[in-house]
Amino acid sequence: MKKAVLFNEELLYECYQCGRCTGSCPAAIVVEGFNPRNLLLKCLRLGVDSAISDESLWCCTTCGVCEDRCPQMIDVVDLLVMIMNEAARKGHIPEKVRLSTEMVIKTGRVVLMSKRIEQIREKLGLKPLPPVPVAEVEGILEETGLTGLIG
Amino acid sequence: MGKQQEAAAKKTGPSRRDSDSPRIGVYVCHCGLNIDGSLDCEEVARYASSLGGVVLAKDSLYTCSDSGQEVIKNDIREQGLNRVVVASCTPRLHEPTFRAACAEAGLNPYLFEMANIREHCSWVHLHDRAAATEKAKDLVKMAVERVKLLEPQVETEVPILRKALVVGGGVAGIQSALDLADSGYQVYLVEKYASIGGRMAQIDKTFPTMDCSICILAPKMSEVGRHPNIELMTLSEVESVEGYIGSFQVRVRKRPRYVKSECTYCGDCTKDCPQHLPNEFDCGLSTRKAVYSPFAQAVPATYLIDMNSCLNKHGIIACHNCYLACRHKCIDFSQKEELLDLEVGTIIVCTGSDVYDPTPLTELGYRRFQNVITSLEFERLINAGGPTKGHLIRPSDKQRPRSVAFLQCIGSRSKRSNPFCSNICCMNTIKDALLIREHWPDTEIYVFYMDIRAFGKGFEDLHQRARREGVIFIRGIPGEIIEDRLTGNLKVIGENTLLSKLYQYEMDLVILSVGIEPSKDSAVVKRLLSLPSMSDGFFMEAHPKLRPVDTPVGGIFLAGCAEGPKDIKDSVTQASAAASRANILMSKGKVTVEAITSRINPERCTGCGLCAKVCPYGAIQIDKETRIATVVEAACAGCGTCSPECNFGAISMRHYSDRQILAQIDALAEKDAGRKVLAFCCNWCSYAGADFAGVSRIQYPTELRIVRTMCSGRVDPRFIEHAFRKGIAAVLVSGCHIGDCHYINANQQTEKRVQKLWKKMTRLGVDTERLRLAWISAAEGLKFSQEVAAMKAITDRVTEEEIRRGVEAFSRKEKPS
Repeated sequence: MKKAVLFNEELLYECYQCGRCTGSCPAAIVVEGFNPRNLLLKCLRLGVDSAISDESLWCCTTCGVCEDRCPQMIDVVDLLVMIMNEAARKGHIPEKVRLSTEMVIKTGRVVLMSKRIEQIREKLGLKPLPPVPVAEVEGILEETGLTGLIG
Repeated sequence: MGKQQEAAAKKTGPSRRDSDSPRIGVYVCHCGLNIDGSLDCEEVARYASSLGGVVLAKDSLYTCSDSGQEVIKNDIREQGLNRVVVASCTPRLHEPTFRAACAEAGLNPYLFEMANIREHCSWVHLHDRAAATEKAKDLVKMAVERVKLLEPQVETEVPILRKALVVGGGVAGIQSALDLADSGYQVYLVEKYASIGGRMAQIDKTFPTMDCSICILAPKMSEVGRHPNIELMTLSEVESVEGYIGSFQVRVRKRPRYVKSECTYCGDCTKDCPQHLPNEFDCGLSTRKAVYSPFAQAVPATYLIDMNSCLNKHGIIACHNCYLACRHKCIDFSQKEELLDLEVGTIIVCTGSDVYDPTPLTELGYRRFQNVITSLEFERLINAGGPTKGHLIRPSDKQRPRSVAFLQCIGSRSKRSNPFCSNICCMNTIKDALLIREHWPDTEIYVFYMDIRAFGKGFEDLHQRARREGVIFIRGIPGEIIEDRLTGNLKVIGENTLLSKLYQYEMDLVILSVGIEPSKDSAVVKRLLSLPSMSDGFFMEAHPKLRPVDTPVGGIFLAGCAEGPKDIKDSVTQASAAASRANILMSKGKVTVEAITSRINPERCTGCGLCAKVCPYGAIQIDKETRIATVVEAACAGCGTCSPECNFGAISMRHYSDRQILAQIDALAEKDAGRKVLAFCCNWCSYAGADFAGVSRIQYPTELRIVRTMCSGRVDPRFIEHAFRKGIAAVLVSGCHIGDCHYINANQQTEKRVQKLWKKMTRLGVDTERLRLAWISAAEGLKFSQEVAAMKAITDRVTEEEIRRGVEAFSRKEKPS
């Protein structure tokens, strides 16, 4: 399969390790151990493979505050997504991520619809959710290789 | 022409051999491994000895060494050489060295030529020995063909006026002006603001000695004010500069002060002024009136009226409180702007720096949160002459801050602001931290940094002292500052990168240690003086190591932050160095200039006047009676723009004649022309840019061959046509950026001529992409290499048929030259 270039690795050399990325990260405040700066340093010094087993990696919500404040304009989110891709390819997918991916494959949604949710929606005057074309979603995930990775 | 040459030949004695058939010596330099490491010097020398006219070819380890030069001198004397070629580094480095060696041996120095096989060959083709060797052979051959046609020249001497102009009255300008004035020269010091003193006057203490800044500066300022040799012009700006080394004509625009120089500095006028304005000297932290003095120690010590904010600004006297208050009747609303014309021999540029404005870094909250201030604002707050009389208070509640955070590298080392290190902020912060500690020892002080650069004499001691005295250094710049709306306190959030732990500190005051950048006016000065600058905006030195205060423009020098961020000591050192360099020129009283001027053949001249129109210096005059053009040699700067303009072949450039340049083109076209790229590079910008690519070891395709001209304006479209006629695949014409031309505006002619040629190529059915025009500055080595790569892509695309089409098209159109 073709591997897209998600992150320009030349940018790693431009990092001063100033810590602004981790210092502004809303995920790092709540998740002990999640540290984009440290992940970047590992990629630079030890290679991407040294960063893939770290499960805190998956706490990134791709909000982009780090990128916004990085003095060297390094695409930190792209870097983290690249590491996640690499981790998935090498079989380092955390259990919770695996479960929700399976859910997407089976139902087309991350969160399972239940009677209770439907009732709440009705009470709030929201329209019932349209059905998801599950077969189509499955096809896309198959094509992109995600199904194989979590299978 | 003939007479002068004869005289030259007589003067230099043995060089009467000059005009005999060429006896050329070629010297190929290894430059240690700099050249020999990536191409075969012995092979190049062997090849050179096979060329016509070459009587000997040698390779040596270091040709520029004394022994290397001795070999050349001996060969000139013993082997009767009448032409010399050295294949080594860039002529911008060692041409003067070898010319002097030739002259010592009795050979006219203009019968010497260099082939640049280091910056333009070995350093840019480190990994292809065969191709680099082939290219070096080509470059040597081009030099040999050119040297055969060189003619002996006599240099002219230009007198140097014993007067100097210093632009900018900061500490660097003050020092330069005083040094020159003490040496006995008349100095004009031009300062934009109302007082001299610059940034140093605003600062409280200096590092690492903790001297009071204004206390050591003020005596120098008043010395400038009363020195008989210094004419101080405040509220003045340079309007235009013409001329050249030794004789610059400078026009200065002097704004009126509206207060006569008899002012006794009593301050009565200011009391009744109704206008209140932010005080710029205090960074807007205090107010001043419309009639004011910039600061207590200002020189000249006179008040002034800021007419933009005075009620009388429209010329109608609406308020004359100051006039009534002044007992000496010094207020004069009728003063007018003046234009002053000066003539000087040398110029020192000390335009200084501005501080970075951190407003765009919104996460830090500068201008949103009152208690976030810059380091310069802090200097005013802690200065006894400042708005708080030296009592440190924070802006929100005017209370003394119990905890203070310094944030380093704000506006420095960042692609979001300035990429360079500002040099002074680390030590400035350490000094400021110690000052707070000294006055209020119970204050908690945190310094958030990424690297502390304490590199200077005594700097590390101060750093250690700050650590011992309890200043806390934390590695990791805060990502965000959040203000507590009720208390005005600031929550500083970030990561301690040494512990990989997040921190949150509540601080009373945050000081952003802002970096410095080139002053906004330096762009104007750059244009007025045709000075090159680096990509960061600071002025470029003639040589970063060996001529650090000279600019590439003769007679103009640099000092202080105009050249790069630096502290007070370095500024003063550089200022004295610049003054000393200017002094050397002025004490000699004369300088020899290169014998590269244009000559007009009166038999061919028809007096059409086209050349006079394009001359940037007005150096060509048409005699009204004879209708023949003549060149005023003292005014001719040697760009050569006139020569391509002449349709009758009447103008020849000394040392860059048509024949000499065409011979180079012929030499490079002899073999594999269809794969080669010919580049015309101007001496000042693009040739230097190519040198810079070499020094930076930026690799680019080996197909390039460079022909140097003084200015891109010298590039005659006929040269380009000749190249296509010879089957060369592609031609690059390069020069200084428009507006930066070393010869005022000669490159505008280049642009016109290339455009005209593109049209002609279209008409003849020749691919116009084979001719490319690029503006490359001396600092743009990378851009140069990119242009070469683009040219290579074109040559790869150009077919044999296309080349043949070019050959035929331009052969048909051939004009007698």
